[in-house]
Amino acid sequence: MQNYFRMKFFYHLGRYVLLMKKAIGRPDGKKMFLRNIGKEIVAVGYESVGIVALISFFMGGVMAMQFAINMENPILPQYLVGLGTRDVVILEFSSLVIALILAGKVGSNIASEIGTMRITQQIDALDIMGVNSANYLILPKVLAGAVCFPVLCCLSIITGIAGGWIIGDVTGLVPSGQFVLGLTFLFQPFYVVFTNIKMFLFGILITSISSYYGYYVKGGSLQVGHASTTAVVVSSVVVLLFDLVLTTIL
Amino acid sequence: MIEVQNVSKSFNGTQILKNVSTVFEEGKVNCIIGRSGSGKTVLMKSIVGLHEVDEGKILFHGRNYTDMKDKQRKEIRKEIGMVFQSGALFDSETLEDNVMFPLRMFSDMSEEECRERANFCLKRVEVINKNKLFPAEISGGMQKRVAIARAIALKPKYLLCDEPNSGLDPITSIVIDELLHGIVKEYNITAIVNTHDMNSVMEIADKIIFIYQGQKWWEGSKEEIWSTDNKELNDLIFASPLTKKIKQYI
Ligand SMILES: Nc1ncnc2c1ncn2[C@@H]1O[C@H](COP(=O)(O)OP(=O)(O)OP(=O)(O)O)[C@@H](O)[C@H]1O
Ligand SMILES: [Mg+2]
Repeated sequence: MQNYFRMKFFYHLGRYVLLMKKAIGRPDGKKMFLRNIGKEIVAVGYESVGIVALISFFMGGVMAMQFAINMENPILPQYLVGLGTRDVVILEFSSLVIALILAGKVGSNIASEIGTMRITQQIDALDIMGVNSANYLILPKVLAGAVCFPVLCCLSIITGIAGGWIIGDVTGLVPSGQFVLGLTFLFQPFYVVFTNIKMFLFGILITSISSYYGYYVKGGSLQVGHASTTAVVVSSVVVLLFDLVLTTIL
Repeated sequence: MIEVQNVSKSFNGTQILKNVSTVFEEGKVNCIIGRSGSGKTVLMKSIVGLHEVDEGKILFHGRNYTDMKDKQRKEIRKEIGMVFQSGALFDSETLEDNVMFPLRMFSDMSEEECRERANFCLKRVEVINKNKLFPAEISGGMQKRVAIARAIALKPKYLLCDEPNSGLDPITSIVIDELLHGIVKEYNITAIVNTHDMNSVMEIADKIIFIYQGQKWWEGSKEEIWSTDNKELNDLIFASPLTKKIKQYI
């Protein structure tokens, strides 16, 4: 049993690495490539702006409220709420949680798009024309992921902190001045760099893993659905693992 | 000229193609006929390399395609136009963009010239004023015709069509036949057409290859086909009451 899983793991890893090797390379048709990158930036980045901003704003707000309510000890200064919200939003929320949400949204989208192209022989058609289908389909998505995820991360930091600030102020739990004091207190700019590095990696991982599951779909629309679920699950698990590893080493 | 030498192909232990050898000549329409499931599509996909053959060789004008690396194959693939049984148009692109696709990828034509060529090809297959529609918005027969337009856009040396007129009415079917015949003669293309439509075989075939249970059972010209005493071939061509009647007069 254990052996079986180990074999399966190495089978997928090997095939994934080979596919990525095929996907990286100079694309045919510069114009088409640029057009595709534009398209993917819209699909991966622009279309995720709404959900990222919405979730970040409310999570930031809820976080600030929880901090404020649970810090009943009067010795603790109120600005700690600002500090806590800031650090949690920057370090884990804007990267890990947002990446998990995007794995669901972007990942399933990519896997089902490429999977449908596979089962309707559109990928065969590309191959027959002499187009490197992996390069044509996957590279623009991965590049768009690498560019858009850090941008979405910054957006999440800004809206998350704004959420904490505004909701803390409106509910009267944390005075605005105290919150801002907390924001600037012992601020480590490296945290922002670190979280962006993570998001950059997550962007590459999620888009490439989902592309992998879509690219190798066999069968019909049922299998496309299955591939898209697997893509989301696997990319989420991989993101969690990488988060753990990166947090340990950096 | 495409030569197929002793090609065999199995899937999961079931042998589908058994030692098939034949020559598809230049400037001629070579029809592959056979019953459903006899292996026509598998043969065609083996020729272009979508299936790797287990044994045997494929030569394109003497160039050994079977033993080539991906890079060398790519050069030959640019000379191949293929029409899939399902059409395999790119659903996310308009009809015009579908036909322009190979031009944008591989020609150094300007955007305007590409569009002009695409329009010419679409006119050629009698799809007019539908440039901005998407594949899902046109009928199945029209999709086939657009697929042909896409396949001929780059003026291929080799044209492979998998059942170009299945699912078409008799009139449109004749239009497609004439179109295929016309372009093959005009550009001296090596054409391979899979079909089980005997009308179309009689219309356009310069050479007929009959596949029976994965073997090449018979080959010859359309004049010879009437007088053959090959039982399985006779069963196929004289299957319908109409052809049975015709037989009485020849
Ligand atoms: N990828 C595959 N894996 C396993 N078996 C396959 C595969 N492709 C085709 N086959 C089998 O090969 C046989 C021949 O199929 P093929 O598609 O070549 O038939 P065909 O002659 O094109 O029929 P039709 O006229 O209906 O298109 C079928 O029995 C099919 O089950
Ligand atoms: Mg077929």
